[in-house]
Amino acid sequence: MLFHTPQFFAFFVVVLVLFYTLPRAAGRWILLAASYYFYMCWNAKFVLLIFVLTGIDYTAAMWMRRLPAGGKRKAALVMSLSANLGFLGFFKYYNFLAANVAWMFSVPADAFALHIILPMGISFHTFQSMSYVIDVYRGEQEVITDIVDYALYIAFFPQLVAGPIVRARHFFADLYHWRAPDAREILRGTLLVVFGLLKKLAIADQFARLADAFFRDPAAHPGYLAAWSGVIAFSLQIFFDFSGYTDMAIGLAQILGFHFPENFRRPYLARSITEFWRRWHISLSTWLRDYLYIPLGGNRHGRWHTYRNLMLTMLLGGLWHGASWNFVIWGGYHGALLAIERLLSIREHKHWSLFDPLRVAFTFGLASISWVFFRAATLRDSIYILGRLFTGPHGHILWWHWQLWFVLAALLLAALEESWGWFERLPDAPAWAYASAIAVFLFCLELIGFSGRAVPFVYFQF
Amino acid sequence: MPVRLGLALLLFFALDALAFRTGWYVSILEPNSTAGFLETYLNIEKQRPIGRYRQVLAVGDSRMGLKTRVADLLTAETGCSFGTISVPGTTPRCWYYMLREVDPNCDRYTAILVPLDSYDDRSWENQADRELDINYLTPLLRVSDLPGFVFSYPSWSNRAHAAEAVLLKGLSYQHDFQAFLEHPRTRLQFARLQEEHAREWYYNAVWERHSLAGMSVDWNAKTVALPAWLAPAKRQEVEHVLLDDPPPYSADFARYRRHWLRAILDRYRGSRTRFIYLRLPRGPVVRPETPPPDPASTVREFAAAGRIVLLPEHMFDSLERPELFGDALHLNEEGGYQFSMMLAGEVGRVLASAPGDR
Repeated sequence: MLFHTPQFFAFFVVVLVLFYTLPRAAGRWILLAASYYFYMCWNAKFVLLIFVLTGIDYTAAMWMRRLPAGGKRKAALVMSLSANLGFLGFFKYYNFLAANVAWMFSVPADAFALHIILPMGISFHTFQSMSYVIDVYRGEQEVITDIVDYALYIAFFPQLVAGPIVRARHFFADLYHWRAPDAREILRGTLLVVFGLLKKLAIADQFARLADAFFRDPAAHPGYLAAWSGVIAFSLQIFFDFSGYTDMAIGLAQILGFHFPENFRRPYLARSITEFWRRWHISLSTWLRDYLYIPLGGNRHGRWHTYRNLMLTMLLGGLWHGASWNFVIWGGYHGALLAIERLLSIREHKHWSLFDPLRVAFTFGLASISWVFFRAATLRDSIYILGRLFTGPHGHILWWHWQLWFVLAALLLAALEESWGWFERLPDAPAWAYASAIAVFLFCLELIGFSGRAVPFVYFQF
Repeated sequence: MPVRLGLALLLFFALDALAFRTGWYVSILEPNSTAGFLETYLNIEKQRPIGRYRQVLAVGDSRMGLKTRVADLLTAETGCSFGTISVPGTTPRCWYYMLREVDPNCDRYTAILVPLDSYDDRSWENQADRELDINYLTPLLRVSDLPGFVFSYPSWSNRAHAAEAVLLKGLSYQHDFQAFLEHPRTRLQFARLQEEHAREWYYNAVWERHSLAGMSVDWNAKTVALPAWLAPAKRQEVEHVLLDDPPPYSADFARYRRHWLRAILDRYRGSRTRFIYLRLPRGPVVRPETPPPDPASTVREFAAAGRIVLLPEHMFDSLERPELFGDALHLNEEGGYQFSMMLAGEVGRVLASAPGDR
């Protein structure tokens, strides 16, 4: 049941009606049941995995509550982390490891392979669960004693399969001090859902067709213009797909009275890769910062340690996305760029200068190059496409003119949001302005949305 | 908050209506799309000048072999001027909405010709759940059609699709609109050309000049010998139509046909328009094991009730010859000519004998 299907909206309406009409005490039960049902619509068996991980982390945290600081408390943490990373490692990385071992021993690539289905959203809910246990261990988070509340934190359907990765303190603050959303919040939530749908169906899925055609057979589209347009099509697809999903998740949660953190802040307007990572998948980048980069030492032990920590963090961040060398290289590439920017002391400025549009374009180019590794089927394909970006005849752009105009309009809206914040102002704007915006979004969705087969969200595979 | 959300929906439907219910977008529909094709036919008919003659309109699908150019040759004799909205692939459900479009007040035509494959309730397919009808009819559907049109589909998936075509026109035109955005100039030029010349093109269109003369069927061995010019796909089609067993009698089809043919008649109740039903020439050869006629079939029931004129069932049997067909189902140019002459003459006779006609 994908967010952008009629089935999901029917499901959500039922949840809303039950949540707001039944007694308040039943609310968390309704949300938990709805969340498990939502997950089981994908694959009923794997809900057991969520039960198991929920049980382990809940128990680990309860132990920590009883144990004084020291070895036993640490043992509970290690047990929890081992379980989370063990499941994640098995489901996500076993075959990658097996293929590499097979390669080392010169045996067929699938010699040790298992037929493993990757449970949807495992990377997200394990990271969310781990952050809770680590925070409890650090004493930064109170232990949740009610397992229903904890289970809801892990399985809450708006963010279960692709984030944002919500910190426990934010979620439980909402849950324990829940109040019905006011009119502004519902208007904002509705706006986010509609806007997210527009991003997904009208832009991401349009560019998915172009990107799929290019990456399926790059040789069939000769010329560097074709290569750049294919790669940029994927850059746009992944951003509008993931941020569209996130907008919907945040909007749906807000309508239910929960407040998720911002996950994207116009990342393609970043003037450096450092800034890009402050704007892209913020809930993951801050997770990596708080639970990996800083524990590794952060920037506290000199320049070279900082570079090493940046590199390690991004390599693991890459591996988090997927089990292949492409993702490792993608992470390494970003780690290297972050280290280089630090070496060159490239600073972020609040105000924009005359040359900043050029920096934005350059940063977008660098990010787009990284997406080649993310999207290409193999390392060999990635290298081939990278070569095609800078060599050969010019070829022709794969886009239609109207798609270019559509993207320029989106860029203009992003620039206006950056400087003026029109989107956040809309819920407070006069009724006609808010209603006009929703109407125009719906109309664009009706005309430009790709309403054929529902294209899954890119990040659902992680 | 409800005001804002309600206003948003209202504005959205207003935008949708402005673009798709004012006729503007329909004028730039891809002329070769199903909806565009049907619109072209309807526009030709709507713009056809009404003279002092009796106006006779034909509905039907591609098998309706009436060539108005030929039928009009007999105007002086029959006193009738012929128009057609016979569009390939349409079914009685489409005819209902098409007639409503070209004859909103039920007063334009002296007679409407309704061609059928059979006077029995039989068909090659169950048309009740035919999705293609939605594609054809999208421009013609109004909000008030919602229950009638949507629930004429038995499956929920097609009901949803039908509701979409009634309520959210933009969604139904989505592919067409995106194709328009890809080549806007070409589309506009084509649409203009079509508007200017479609009548002439369609009126003077020449049908298949080849014929199936020389074909023979061995019903026992289930083999067909066909002329060499016929393309492989057409050969297969002929073999399929002639040799494969027809689907069994379907109560669904009877229900469907009864519903829509009756709806058409009900719409014209009280008008002076007469309905003339005819059985089309069945094919270049006729299957030997034709089932006996069903006296209680829909159209015989209508005729018995005096609601329609049923032309003699075997009136066009003489045209069921290979030399008058271009394939297994369609008359060729010569067949169309002969059929049109016969039909026009018979319609003239029927209307001349009817009391109170012009």
